[in-house]
Amino acid sequence: MTASVAPIPVQLTDVVKRYGRRTVLDGVSLEVTPGITGLVGPNGAGKSTLVRSILGLVRLAEGKARVFGHDPYRRPRRVRELVGVVPEDECSVPGLSGVEMVRYAARLSGLPATEALRRAHEVLDWCDAGQERYRPVETLSVGTRQKVSFAAAIVHDPPMVILDEPTNGLDPIERRAMLGRLTTLARSHGKTIFVSTHVLPDVQAICDRVIVLARGRVRLAGTIAELTRPPVPEHHLTGTGPLDRLAADLSTRGLPATVRVGETGPLIALASPQPDQLGLVWSAASSVGVAIRSFGPACRPLEQVFIESLRQAAQETAAPDQVLIESGGINAPA
Amino acid sequence: MPLHDVGYRSWKSHRCGPAATVWVIAVTGIRLAWESRWLRRLVFFAWSPALIFAASFFAFEQAVDEGRLSSLGEAAEHGRNLDGVGMLGTVLADALGGDPTDVDVESTRRLVWTRLLLAFMRAPQALLLAAVVGLVAPTLISRDLRAKAWLVYFTRPVGRREYILGKATILLLLVLAITMLPALALWLMGVLVSPSLSVALETWDLPLRIIVASLALAIPTVLLALAYSSLTAESRIASFAWFATWVALSIAHGALTTADMVARIRAEQAAVEQLTAADLADGHATTERPSRDFHRRTEPRPSAFQRQFRWLARAAGIDISHDRWAWVSPYHALGVMQAAIFGIDPRIRSWGPPAATLTVITIGSLLVLAWRVTAPARG
Repeated sequence: MTASVAPIPVQLTDVVKRYGRRTVLDGVSLEVTPGITGLVGPNGAGKSTLVRSILGLVRLAEGKARVFGHDPYRRPRRVRELVGVVPEDECSVPGLSGVEMVRYAARLSGLPATEALRRAHEVLDWCDAGQERYRPVETLSVGTRQKVSFAAAIVHDPPMVILDEPTNGLDPIERRAMLGRLTTLARSHGKTIFVSTHVLPDVQAICDRVIVLARGRVRLAGTIAELTRPPVPEHHLTGTGPLDRLAADLSTRGLPATVRVGETGPLIALASPQPDQLGLVWSAASSVGVAIRSFGPACRPLEQVFIESLRQAAQETAAPDQVLIESGGINAPA
Repeated sequence: MPLHDVGYRSWKSHRCGPAATVWVIAVTGIRLAWESRWLRRLVFFAWSPALIFAASFFAFEQAVDEGRLSSLGEAAEHGRNLDGVGMLGTVLADALGGDPTDVDVESTRRLVWTRLLLAFMRAPQALLLAAVVGLVAPTLISRDLRAKAWLVYFTRPVGRREYILGKATILLLLVLAITMLPALALWLMGVLVSPSLSVALETWDLPLRIIVASLALAIPTVLLALAYSSLTAESRIASFAWFATWVALSIAHGALTTADMVARIRAEQAAVEQLTAADLADGHATTERPSRDFHRRTEPRPSAFQRQFRWLARAAGIDISHDRWAWVSPYHALGVMQAAIFGIDPRIRSWGPPAATLTVITIGSLLVLAWRVTAPARG
């Protein structure tokens, strides 16, 4: 007896999408696996088109897209039953109240009438929509509208939820609550969450994996730990006491170390020690009188990783002469 | 946290199919449209012509019951108003063919009922339909485009077909509520006030004809209105286009028909002058020059009553002279089609071109809708 393998939520292979002569997606290959995946990229990177191709709203010029094993363009109905979407744009049916809007979404997703109303109230309760749910959607605050939109996306209990800028317009408390709900859906209910956003701290806070899209291509993809790892692996140590003496002591013991100024103050950067060298660090700190506050593998801020990948993308697509000019390789023309 | 917050729970159960989706879109659309006070007034007002026509049915059946159909026919011949609006008189005068003494009740009833129903659907209801559709349809898709509500539909298991069908059903239900339902009610009332319920068997085909005629009226108009709505995010523009289509093409039809009439009169005048010239050449000289309306004197002159209600006669299918420009105007094309469906003017020469026009409108509107409704989603 063979165990059935659950299909990968989203699998894109060499996807190309053109609008006229403009290529918006240029050979995109990626996989969205269960958990929370963040899609980041500058404006015009092709994020919305990517989401539309997952939903089967656009026809691909080349490549293959599969959502839970289904071709979204050929079987859009099946795919959209399995996916809930929170669009970036405020979209609502004018005249409906919040709860009617969620109920309408449930009915459109195939829920029977009574069940749709019950489920609408249930998810609105979970989203903490309160009595605001009875007001017409067009009169709701941005935050409440976002809650209604989120509730409408999950009311039919889809195995995958796609969110476009889910924390737009939310105050810090609501933002935390929204991120908490996404985490609950992913961790406790096994949902696949695909978040397209510009807010990198949100991505760093909740995402398991990140995909950086720029100029229609996937520039980076991997876990947060993989992406933020520096090119040369090193450890950072922070503490109180004579850090310069500790760095010198470690260097003499065969662990090259330098003192730098980090975001939170001075720190010691040292080449990643082998497991048997860890005790050495603690004994050296003890001998020079440094109290260690933190010690662990160094990671770069996600923002830095993101900007570097965009810079690289710009250099790849720019003309060779322009790259040389921008990098100072030749004199710029007057 | 509210006490009733049970957290997020999974949901697994049977899902409804596409037909339920169409119905949900339709019902929600009607509920939202019904919030308009003007629509409510218009729909209630749309039933008032049925009361007037009910008077005609009642007057006719009363005359049949009392055995005074002949005298009613004579009264109609003399131009007496029999039902308050002159409709019954106009229809009867034609149906009895000037010989009210020899009356076959059954065939007269069929003729009178058919013409009354056609007049009802063509004169007041077709115009009210234009008003109701013009009030509701322009917002149906354009508002979705403006409020980006298309995302609500096309990010869910709703296809183009269900969306268009759902929106069309909103209008179809409203249109049928103001055309088909009152017409069926009129037929039912006619049966109930007739001397015998066997009249229902004699006229069994009329309800079917009413349904077909209502659908023929509703389908092209509804699709055209939706196509206009899908072409713009501004419902005012769609409204203007809708009413402009009806008015402008009716004016065009009137202009072409008038031009035809003028050409015919001139041709007749020319023929008379040629005859006169030939007579002169043959030596049968006459000093009297034929008057401009010479040709008219050769035709029986309609009575003052008939002239007064000529538009009713036309609407009731009494005047079935070939309208070769009917295909130009949706209103006239629909009228000719309905006359054919009611069996009053089944000549293919009459209904062929209007049927072609309505088919083109229907197919063209469907193509526009299919192209436009997912256009924003395609980017």
